[in-house]
Amino acid sequence: MKQQLKIVVNGEPYDLFVEPKTLLVQVIREMLGLKGTHQACDSSSCAACTVILDGMAVKSCSVLALQANGKEVLTIEGLADGTKLHPIQQAFIDNWAFQCGFCTSGQIMAAKALLDENPNPTREEIQEQMDGHICRCTGYNMINEAIRDAAKRLQSEKSAQSGKGAA
Amino acid sequence: MKEYSIIGKPTPNVDGPAKVTGEAAYTIDMTLPNMLYGKLLRSPYPHANILSIDTSKAEELPGVKAIITGKDTPGGKWGLWRRFRELSDQQALATDKVRFIGDPVAAVAATTEEIAEKALDLIEVEYEPLPAVFDPIEAIKDDAPMVHEDFPSNINATRHIEWGDVDKGFAEADYVREDRFVLEAAHPCAMEVHNSLASYDKGTGRLTVWTSTGSPYFVQQNLAEALKLREGDIRVIKPHVGGHYGGKNSTMPDAVNAAILSMKTGRPVKIVYNRDEEFTTTEHRTAQNMALKIGLKKDGTIVAFEVKTMTNGGAYTGLGATTLYLTGTFITMPYKIPNYRYDGVRTYTNIVWGTSIRGFGAVPAKYCSETQLDRAAKDLGIDPLEIRRKNAVIPGYEAPGQYKFESCGIQPCIEKMAVRVKEKWPKLEKDEGIGYCAFAYMSGGIFNWIDTPYAYSSAHVKVNWDGTVDLYSQAADVGQGHNTVAAMICAEELGIGIEDIRLHMGDTAHAYTDLGAWGSRETLMNGNAIKDAAAQVKQKLIDIARLKLGENIAYDLVAKNKRIFLELRPERGLSYYDLVKDAIRANDGVPLTGTGHYTPHNKGMISPAYGMGIMAMKAKVDRETGHVTVQDVLVVHDSGQIINPLGARGQVEGSIHMGLGYGLCEEMPMDQGMLLNPEFVDYKILRTRDMPEIEILDVPTYEPNGPFGAKEAAEATIAPAAPCVANAVYQATGAEFYSNVLKPEKVLKAIREAEKKQKASKATGK
Amino acid sequence: MAKHYRCPMCRKICAEHLDLARHYLGQTDKKHKEWLKTQGLSYAALIKAQVTEFGNKGYQALADVLKKTAAEVEI
Repeated sequence: MKQQLKIVVNGEPYDLFVEPKTLLVQVIREMLGLKGTHQACDSSSCAACTVILDGMAVKSCSVLALQANGKEVLTIEGLADGTKLHPIQQAFIDNWAFQCGFCTSGQIMAAKALLDENPNPTREEIQEQMDGHICRCTGYNMINEAIRDAAKRLQSEKSAQSGKGAA
Repeated sequence: MKEYSIIGKPTPNVDGPAKVTGEAAYTIDMTLPNMLYGKLLRSPYPHANILSIDTSKAEELPGVKAIITGKDTPGGKWGLWRRFRELSDQQALATDKVRFIGDPVAAVAATTEEIAEKALDLIEVEYEPLPAVFDPIEAIKDDAPMVHEDFPSNINATRHIEWGDVDKGFAEADYVREDRFVLEAAHPCAMEVHNSLASYDKGTGRLTVWTSTGSPYFVQQNLAEALKLREGDIRVIKPHVGGHYGGKNSTMPDAVNAAILSMKTGRPVKIVYNRDEEFTTTEHRTAQNMALKIGLKKDGTIVAFEVKTMTNGGAYTGLGATTLYLTGTFITMPYKIPNYRYDGVRTYTNIVWGTSIRGFGAVPAKYCSETQLDRAAKDLGIDPLEIRRKNAVIPGYEAPGQYKFESCGIQPCIEKMAVRVKEKWPKLEKDEGIGYCAFAYMSGGIFNWIDTPYAYSSAHVKVNWDGTVDLYSQAADVGQGHNTVAAMICAEELGIGIEDIRLHMGDTAHAYTDLGAWGSRETLMNGNAIKDAAAQVKQKLIDIARLKLGENIAYDLVAKNKRIFLELRPERGLSYYDLVKDAIRANDGVPLTGTGHYTPHNKGMISPAYGMGIMAMKAKVDRETGHVTVQDVLVVHDSGQIINPLGARGQVEGSIHMGLGYGLCEEMPMDQGMLLNPEFVDYKILRTRDMPEIEILDVPTYEPNGPFGAKEAAEATIAPAAPCVANAVYQATGAEFYSNVLKPEKVLKAIREAEKKQKASKATGK
Repeated sequence: MAKHYRCPMCRKICAEHLDLARHYLGQTDKKHKEWLKTQGLSYAALIKAQVTEFGNKGYQALADVLKKTAAEVEI
């Protein structure tokens, strides 16, 4: 029996009807056609499908769609500001922090949640937070460096903004 | 070294914006109107006759549009060893019998994936189980069950390599030792599973397939064989690929059955494996048994080497026969070995088959040879780095009839390593050790088992009126960054910017042949083809410039910074954009084109060039728990002229990650042919917390066979990772390892044995 | 002019019986495999000897048979 799901994804409100067993990742990929969120396992153990649900990084394969009822979801497609990439996205490009790119959306969304909470993380703190993510290409070090680079970019962006605000 | 505008400069990935925004489309993200979903029914038995298949109940399920079994397929067999027809042993669906747990027996196309899965449950298959064989030693016995008819004792492929006089060499050695090893299998674990989308055009009889592959050309050839169609009637498109690592060279039942179902239904059909299918039915790094005998002089000079290998091939051939060959080749590199003999046999067994996973051949081989070399060095009282330096090859070294090193920086790499290690790790704590491993790997293979009548690589360049360039090639970016390398090489040759180049890659209908991404071949082979194509266009522009400038014909013109000018008088030149317009006008309005190709000739049996170097790891062993911590990694490597330092670093970092997994935690335990850990929960891949920092130093050389002097950077550094760990533990504790995967219980056992041995030798006063 | 030996199953000729044995066991077709049986040899046993023991034991065993059976050719 389908039930109503009211959900905001990347700022857009949606009014959907889903089966109770429908997963959030299925809503994102299949119903909304947002294919940037990838699924790479069937056991909730790779974190490729990570999105941000009400500010928290979650594996969208491990959340029932109805658990997200009334909540806001941010996926990789909602991160850039129009045609301007988010500083984390730019840092991933500049640091060669992806190769095949399949796990990248999940890595970037987790990095976003991490930096929102801890704007200046150490290598070890990033390792701690990102340990659930499997990347088969990079060996992780370049992802770690990209996140630290993004932290710097975000901080200088922030200080530029607060500088403007003061003036 | 030559100063380039683009080559050698850190260049962000040309696919970056698409990949960080989620816009990059992988096959798994694609749908077509009216598309059906396909699923495969797989054998639960490792070896069984198929007595009957009843699909009637499944056919009645609403939403099911087609069900096929072996008899409904065109019946063509395929494989990658096409030169040896009997080794084309794969088929769409098993007809007479199944050969491993997971061999597909039926395929369903339905309107949803869920209905397709339900239909599988309704198909009734009657099997007659047969005795099965899972181990190479058992498989080769006279009375072993036969996996394939016509292959007595399950001998799938054999390989013999010999040079020098091995028996004389051993007779002259001061020190001889023999070691026997058992190497575990490992899975490539690409994040994007195998999946294909096939669309058959009823009107024209032509087929289009989008698939997650490393070689669209291999898939095109294999589909033609499987479906009994002409190659030219099949178009294969490789979208972005979510990981390859050697596991996506073979054409698999997903592509073939999606095509057959599309031909039956007249609708597009997509088949996506789940992670369990990916683990249990797609190709992995072969498990193998190896025996090594080495003879050295007192001073550490290697005088004779003999290697025997038996690989647990599995049910089909894939590129496993090539792996067998390369095991016997890479185990000798990068050392001067005057007398050498190799014998390998690949056995058919009733498990999923092994193939060409990243660093193929080198990974198991180097584990054995480099741990053996450390033990020999210790017995002879020689420093492990010194024994490697002493035996390392020099430029021009040739293994008779096999391979030759042209550019060769291994000696300077070892010298640089010796200096840096002292600075980096001046003092070791208790239970810490440093392990070394020297390495070399091909830059593309010369062998033509695929039996292509085409050039190994080709590329087509078209320059438009406004100076923009369309570059066409079948070469495959599978994440390694080849698209960026291709654009860089094309831009450098034409003296323009990367932003001027639009890529059209990995589509068999739009480009001439390239054999795809395997054996670290794209940079050198496709790079040469691209450079050739671009040079042809450049020559046309230079001709026009020469005409317009009216200079002395002896003066050389170069293309750089979007101009064509006199090399010695840079101020005298013309804009590239203006010249293009003139050249097209002079060409009766036809855009400028060049078609380049590359096939190696007279370069031995293996490869035109070899990436090489030496790796060191510092590791600490916990004597209580047996846990090994890799603390730090240092690599000094020679990849010729590096095209893109960012991409090259990514390749080295990624190789070390996968290589460390092989050494520490990745394994594929099976029980009667059943994989016991087909999920990421149980199959242990190193996570970010497990990864040490890696310092990479380059020793650039100029490789005469590579574009701008480049050679491989993608695979050489995977093989040394595991032996470095084992050697570090050996140096710290004396523990000897005869198998990879240093799980704590294995480490503890080896330490205890080492302690016993040390006590015994003290007691006897030796 | 030097003495060579012809493979009993195909046109291959080699200067040494051991090289001829190496050629022979590298062939994967049925015809080559079947002839071994007529000589009281087993393809599998020869390969097994070659890959499980150090030395050229499998090749040597076949070379000994080829010494008696392979035709001589002067080239």
